[in-house]
Amino acid sequence: MTVDAVMEFRRRDARDKLTGRTRYTIDRAAPGMLHAAVLRAEVASGRLVTVDTSKAAALPGVRAVATAADAPGRFGIGVSDHSLFADGQVRYVGEPLAAVAADTPEQAQAALAAIEVAIEPLPAVVTMAEALAPGAPLVHPDWQDYEVLPVGGARAGNVAWEATVVRGDVDAAFARPDVTVVESTFRVGRQNHMAFEPRAVVARYEEDRFHIETSTQVPWTIRNATARFLGVPASQVRVTVPPVGGAFGLKFDVAIEPFAALLAKKSGRAVRLVNSREEEMLTCLFRENAEILIRSAVTSEGEIAGREAVVLMDCGAHGGEQIFLTTMTAHTLGGNYKLGAVRLATRAVYTNTPPNGAFRACNGVYNTFALERHTDEIAAAIGMDPLELRRRTVLGDGDLGATGQVFEGDVLRPMLDRMEALRARTTPHEVDDGRLYGRATTVGTWFVFTGPSAATVNMNADGSATLVTSGVEIGSGSMMQGLPQIVAATLGIRPEDVIVRQADTDAAGYDVGVGGGRQTTSLGAASLAAAQDVRAKLLAFAAQLLEATPDDLVMANGRIEIAGPNGKGFTIAEVAARAQAALGPIGGTGAATRTGVPSMPGCVAGHFIDAIDIPVFAVHDCEVAVDRDTGHVEVLNYRVVQDVGRALNRSAIGGQIQGGVVQGLGYALHEEVSIDALGHIRQCGFETYRVPLAGDVVPVEVDLFEGAPSLGPLGIKGAGEVPILNVGATVACAVANATGRRVQELPLTPPRILSLLLGREPDLALPHIQPAFADNLLRPHGPEV
Amino acid sequence: MPTDMTVNGEARTSARDPLTPLIDVLRDEFHLTGAKPVCREGFCGACTVLVDGEPTVSCLTPVAMAGDCDVVTIEGLSSCGLTDIQSRLEQGDAVQCGMCFPGMVMTLSHFLAHTPQPNRDEVRAALTGNICRCTGYERIVEAALAVAGGRAEGRR
Ligand code: FES
Ligand code: FES
Repeated sequence: MTVDAVMEFRRRDARDKLTGRTRYTIDRAAPGMLHAAVLRAEVASGRLVTVDTSKAAALPGVRAVATAADAPGRFGIGVSDHSLFADGQVRYVGEPLAAVAADTPEQAQAALAAIEVAIEPLPAVVTMAEALAPGAPLVHPDWQDYEVLPVGGARAGNVAWEATVVRGDVDAAFARPDVTVVESTFRVGRQNHMAFEPRAVVARYEEDRFHIETSTQVPWTIRNATARFLGVPASQVRVTVPPVGGAFGLKFDVAIEPFAALLAKKSGRAVRLVNSREEEMLTCLFRENAEILIRSAVTSEGEIAGREAVVLMDCGAHGGEQIFLTTMTAHTLGGNYKLGAVRLATRAVYTNTPPNGAFRACNGVYNTFALERHTDEIAAAIGMDPLELRRRTVLGDGDLGATGQVFEGDVLRPMLDRMEALRARTTPHEVDDGRLYGRATTVGTWFVFTGPSAATVNMNADGSATLVTSGVEIGSGSMMQGLPQIVAATLGIRPEDVIVRQADTDAAGYDVGVGGGRQTTSLGAASLAAAQDVRAKLLAFAAQLLEATPDDLVMANGRIEIAGPNGKGFTIAEVAARAQAALGPIGGTGAATRTGVPSMPGCVAGHFIDAIDIPVFAVHDCEVAVDRDTGHVEVLNYRVVQDVGRALNRSAIGGQIQGGVVQGLGYALHEEVSIDALGHIRQCGFETYRVPLAGDVVPVEVDLFEGAPSLGPLGIKGAGEVPILNVGATVACAVANATGRRVQELPLTPPRILSLLLGREPDLALPHIQPAFADNLLRPHGPEV
Repeated sequence: MPTDMTVNGEARTSARDPLTPLIDVLRDEFHLTGAKPVCREGFCGACTVLVDGEPTVSCLTPVAMAGDCDVVTIEGLSSCGLTDIQSRLEQGDAVQCGMCFPGMVMTLSHFLAHTPQPNRDEVRAALTGNICRCTGYERIVEAALAVAGGRAEGRR
């Protein structure tokens, strides 16, 4: 049966959000609730000599105090290197030392002030160059003792994880007589999500179980990580999630939940913990800073005979998401183009800085920046038009990706044509006002992070259906639009009549979480399967009532009828009610996980995903004007052609594209994070960290490209994550085009632009990346032995 | 010293210290959680309420400053159903995480009441003190222009 779930359905949560009725986690309270606070280290590196809480515990109103002794466990996505409190060693400014719960927030703060702490300072490594220097102090001296997921990344000292790709003979490609070798270096800073709702939690301990109400994207990660930290069975942790006030990847990892849980257990009371904006800034789980060397051997015809790259990602004091993300170099920096031979090394590097994390399209954003600027430098080196070079070399049907996976369908090339048509609709902006004008078109490759999802659909006797999943509404609208549309279309009812249960790990099955564009695809696949299960049961029962076979029936517009004019039938509510009486309530379950597209044997080492199930492509284009006197870059217009597979809700996707592009403009131009020599993050709020304002932005022109192959349900792909992917790249290429200068770093703040224009920006040297590829590796590419 | 004020048309008294930020009084004492404390430094506008008719960042306003004033929050503004700007924002599919909207709506309601026929640049300028991290602003600007456009229609 084919389901047509395409609708322009408006989100049901808008009204409450517009009238201030929505109750986010920060708006929640419980009777007798205590207020918690966390004491954090003020030095980047040191030996923890004492944390004495005895005076604090005796203060009025203080109900519970927790320290490292209460949380013996470790957790980590790839390597279990994260303890809840500093474990004898302090590794970053902001690392938790103790937590308290008191009757009032003021009493909790007073208790923090009364905790006596002694830290013996140790030398710190604040940059990746320092961390990789010979004899550098180790952020994790005991790195060899940590539990590791068995996927074979190389590790040693401050290299938390190293992933490699080798396909073909790269040395031979570089030695070819007919190639030009082009080498580029790039560096990017961190990006802060600035989600409006800070991380917040209300925890209870009841009937020997924790109940954690939290602002997260990953209820099951919270469940499992809390259990790991506290050393209790995961089944003792229940996680529920109210509407989330913005996330963008920030809330894709465990945060402050275990503190509140621990204090709730100790005090026997409900405990609320909310990060201040300063704490949010300090412990952001940023998009990481990175340094990249990329080198290509290219013929005069634009054929890329060989490519090699080394990517250094700063993971901060814990490996966290970066360990997983080393995988994504292969599919982003190694994406977009047909490559003869390729080798890539990605190293997640420990530093004594706050841990980094996930942020919308993660390292894809800066890898695309590096790849697209490099592509423009190649075009200049071989004297080819940059667009022509892209047209000739983008991945097409049957081409091999970096890891040897075979791509299906011609997608990027027709998308480039569509962009040309979109651009032709507007006239170029150039006026003679003394500014420098430039434009650029870039391409990008991202993916949908598939993986396990579960769904249950209960058919109610009143004709409505209840969808139960662990999905979370973080603002993207997937829970409000995409998922109810899929269920409604399958069951022939209105999307308004699909009730969507908020995430509760006690009610729904496991789910990886909301992020990576997976919500409408993975949860969508599970929801579709569950709804189809219900549909089949209802049709079978209705067929008996109507003395027909299920194949004779149509299920649409709230009715099940015999096909054909004036077909006899019933409302779905009637069928559901009768079925409930005769058989018991009708429900269905569905599950989905990744299918597993193969890579080429032997190509990858240390990867979590060898090949991508659902690639997503994007083509972006913009024009900029650069002010020579102020260094200000104005983005004049912006265009996106995005591969969406099939657009279930064009309005919802359009909103994601506008929002994602604008976040990317902030990243490209003015969102800057700097860390001082002592390991302090300098930006502490909205005043110092400059996000885009209404006056900064342009309306994005959008063309949705449909019909590319997709393993997603109903042919869809995730659409909310990818819009940010090539914004940094496109703005950087346009600025290089306007100024004729080599753009090697983001963000392009006015001071950086001015020094570029004045020729004061030195060529970016990365001495801690070795010139010979092999000298960068902990061990030669290959399986762990 | 207690502070008397009118909140959404009702006489209220806060028992909090006079220096307590108005937003904490509204949220914690009066359980009006619509206004959001996002930055607490006057930059984001998510905590905007009307004090004697003027949009005010309640995070930087000590409750004493609202003494004897008429305070209207998003809950008060919405007490008789959706206003024009709220309807346009809903129809225009503008809302994402929603955290900025209580403040956006307060600012835009005041702006549209005083600038009946704004152009795009005026709307953008009016939003300088209201940050949105999710939407990229375009649909919010469009909604404000649609309210103004709707009024022009009505007059014709
Ligand atoms: S919380 Fe008041 S302006 Fe941001
Ligand atoms: S909708 Fe999320 S901040 Fe505006």
